[in-house]
Amino acid sequence: MSHRVRPIDRPVTFELDGESITAQADDTVAVAFVAAGRATLSRSIKYHRPRGPFCFSGACSQCLVRIDGAPNQYACQTEVKPGMRVERQNAFPDASLDVLQATDFVFAKWFNHHEFMAGVPLVEKVMLQVARKLAGLGTLPEKAAPSRASPIVETVPVAIVGGGAAGLSAARRLTERGVGFSLFERERACGGRLLIGSEEGAPAIVVPAGPSIRPGATVVGVFADDGKPFLVALQNERMHFVFYERLLLTNGGQPTLLTFPNNDLPGIFAGRAVSRTIRQHGVVPGERIAVVGEPDEARSLAKLIVASGSKAVAVGGVPERAHGLRSVTAMTVTLGGTSEKHECDAVAVCAPLSPAFELARAAGARVGWDARSRLFTVEADAVGKAAANVWAAGELRGPMSAAAATEQGLVAAEAIATAVKGATP
Amino acid sequence: MSKALLCPCEDVTASEVEHAIAKGYCDIESVKRFTGFGTGMCQGKQCLTAVARFLEDTTKPKPTAAQLMPFTPRPPLFPTELSQWAAASFDPMVAPAGGVPQSLGLTENALKPEGPVPTKAKIVIIGGGIMGLALAWNLAERGETDIVVLERGYLLAGASGRNGGGVRMQWGTPTLIELARRSIDLMDRFARDLGINVWFRRGGYLFLAKSDEVVAKIERAAKLHNAHGVPTQILTADGARDIVPHLTMTGVKAAAWNPRDAVIFPWPFLWGYAHAAQKKGVKVETFTKVIGFEQSDGRLKKVITDRGDIACETVVLAAGAWSPQVASLAGIDLPNEPHRHEICSTEPLKPFLGPLVSVLDSGLYFSQSMRGEIVGGMGDPREPAGMNLGSTQRFLTRYSQALTEQLPQLGRVKILRQWSGPYDVTPDNSPILGRTPGLPNLLHLSGFVGHGFMMAPAVAERMAAWMATGESDELFERFTLGRFAEGRMEREDMIIG
Repeated sequence: MSHRVRPIDRPVTFELDGESITAQADDTVAVAFVAAGRATLSRSIKYHRPRGPFCFSGACSQCLVRIDGAPNQYACQTEVKPGMRVERQNAFPDASLDVLQATDFVFAKWFNHHEFMAGVPLVEKVMLQVARKLAGLGTLPEKAAPSRASPIVETVPVAIVGGGAAGLSAARRLTERGVGFSLFERERACGGRLLIGSEEGAPAIVVPAGPSIRPGATVVGVFADDGKPFLVALQNERMHFVFYERLLLTNGGQPTLLTFPNNDLPGIFAGRAVSRTIRQHGVVPGERIAVVGEPDEARSLAKLIVASGSKAVAVGGVPERAHGLRSVTAMTVTLGGTSEKHECDAVAVCAPLSPAFELARAAGARVGWDARSRLFTVEADAVGKAAANVWAAGELRGPMSAAAATEQGLVAAEAIATAVKGATP
Repeated sequence: MSKALLCPCEDVTASEVEHAIAKGYCDIESVKRFTGFGTGMCQGKQCLTAVARFLEDTTKPKPTAAQLMPFTPRPPLFPTELSQWAAASFDPMVAPAGGVPQSLGLTENALKPEGPVPTKAKIVIIGGGIMGLALAWNLAERGETDIVVLERGYLLAGASGRNGGGVRMQWGTPTLIELARRSIDLMDRFARDLGINVWFRRGGYLFLAKSDEVVAKIERAAKLHNAHGVPTQILTADGARDIVPHLTMTGVKAAAWNPRDAVIFPWPFLWGYAHAAQKKGVKVETFTKVIGFEQSDGRLKKVITDRGDIACETVVLAAGAWSPQVASLAGIDLPNEPHRHEICSTEPLKPFLGPLVSVLDSGLYFSQSMRGEIVGGMGDPREPAGMNLGSTQRFLTRYSQALTEQLPQLGRVKILRQWSGPYDVTPDNSPILGRTPGLPNLLHLSGFVGHGFMMAPAVAERMAAWMATGESDELFERFTLGRFAEGRMEREDMIIG
């Protein structure tokens, strides 16, 4: 069972499938859901497997719900509001007991959608009709969208995407060098791993003052319609088209999925999701948490869990199999060469982040397979130059400590400052 | 049940990826298409690393770092509401340019199979899209199996993997109406003939007309359709709303409705044709580029590839919008021009939209796929000729404005990914088929102006018969390359998008 480290002092009540749930004012729907001790928030698209929030960073699909009549909203990216109406999707009769989960048992290993009933007279037509009925996730929105203001067009000398360790150090260096910039941070507060990670001895969060730092601004793309690149960012529900001279990408990555049987059970979270709920929201997602995967992160996360009043087990074990029907009840890991089964009510999967290379690739950078970390990373030179007028720093370039990311941010910013000054007559 | 998920969004398990690898789909782009991994709400953020690691551990021989490439990421980075894109503006008078990414995303030769191609074959088909593969299978069905199909990338890398899957009988000339009718029949029984589901769904096509000129066009076309057994009806705006209740009918003067038109999932057609042709002995060589020809005595003697030369009797050029590039290697000028056509897909919704809806005046079209996504596009009259596979914000804005005007409830629906493909445009909007003047063993099968996919089953069937029997067929005498020099132009005006 999850618990809150701090009691709720600013209560907000919202509705989940008609039932009232009370949360702390800053909670996201996903955090409030886990804090309320619930497991199944969604059902998977084909097999209707029970799913719960996993990444808490808007990069998976396990927390998608209908919110106030709009389908497929990330519960982990939506703050609770009084009276908010949250509905679980893709289940019959409801997400807790979904009879369509029968498909998960019928197709024990997988469903061969290419060949199933292919060409069988009559049966094929019925299969197509059933498949059509079961397709899709949410239903059409109830209403048209509110009218949206037209995008704000801006021009900046330097655009920084991501306000974590690397982005913030770069912002500080550019401020010192007197180079104008805008930093776009998707979360409502800057800090990234410094704010939500569990790494010990990580640098403190130092955010330069001023309007150049823009939390709550999600960059959704780099475009180059007329050959001139610009970012499209969403801030306060409004689009901004940001034309830049130089681009620094420090947008890190997302939790990496490790492959083992039942790796999608409710109660299994990304390591950084667990440190996030504890540090940012004071919510510990289990009483007895198996902390598996990358040993350094597992150890520091285990400390955080223990300090928050729960137990950490199987720390640093290599995940072999998760057990449980509706949510995780045990975890088999390999530790010290032996296989061990640990009872638990939550699992934290620790692994270096998968770099979020999409923007870099659109901006012209090369992305390659790093054989050591087994991740796709953005390729850059010693100062972080990744393409013409594009620099990259931090975990986008592969696994590294917060201190190393901070240093890469400084080095890239210095190179950018030099380039800006050099280009000025 | 116990499953190890590699892609939780689309419920793709490790066993399913193993199956894809066993079928020979072991590059990431092919695994993505064959299993559907990476096509869900997260667009690969969660699954790409897991699948790449699985491929590295499972495929033999172990892929090198250069062979492990991420699939091309498609904008936007996060699902973004149509209403947001629609709030921007664009200058309709300015031609679109640029776009991201500019290239196909194929790393040069990284996945080139080891070993040479066959040294000879009776027929070499250049282009492993729907046209080339459908022709190969139809020839094999007639007993002609000494065939090599050459594909520059993975199966589906070209326009066959990039189209929206609409198939209709509503055309403007008897030839295309007849071909489309036959194709749709073949598509309906494709699963029976070729053993793979293509998710054929007869939801109909609803064309909306907003100007008197377009009303006159659909009325004229409907008469022609009826004369050829296609049950197209002309409806009032209210009649059209009965078919799709969510549509607004602002400015709609009339609509053309054929309930027999359909939507299919394009990808399995290529796998179905390729597997069945291979079973009969046809060689399909992917990641193989044609770099030249050897010719003498007014005939092509050899096709030169980056994996060796193939001596052959006949060459069929079926490379779609890339055909002019290949033809120029043989010294032949084709009048085809590639025109970028952008398209996008939304998050999956429970089914609510039966037909493919198209506004003929603007070129907007959209339908709901069997997976529930709204897939659609809108041609840009200012799009210049040239091979450009980039995606633009301008397109998302134009499309979102037009779509939410027609279906306002989609305003809060989010675009998941956008991409583009090349229309293979000819001067008279009609295909180029048959023999090359002065080079009679180079046959053409290109120039389908964005509707090649839906014509392919029928055209390939007729071309195979023509090639195998030598009996004359009007298609391959009328739509020849020679017609441009002779001034015999055809005209098709029911092009959309």
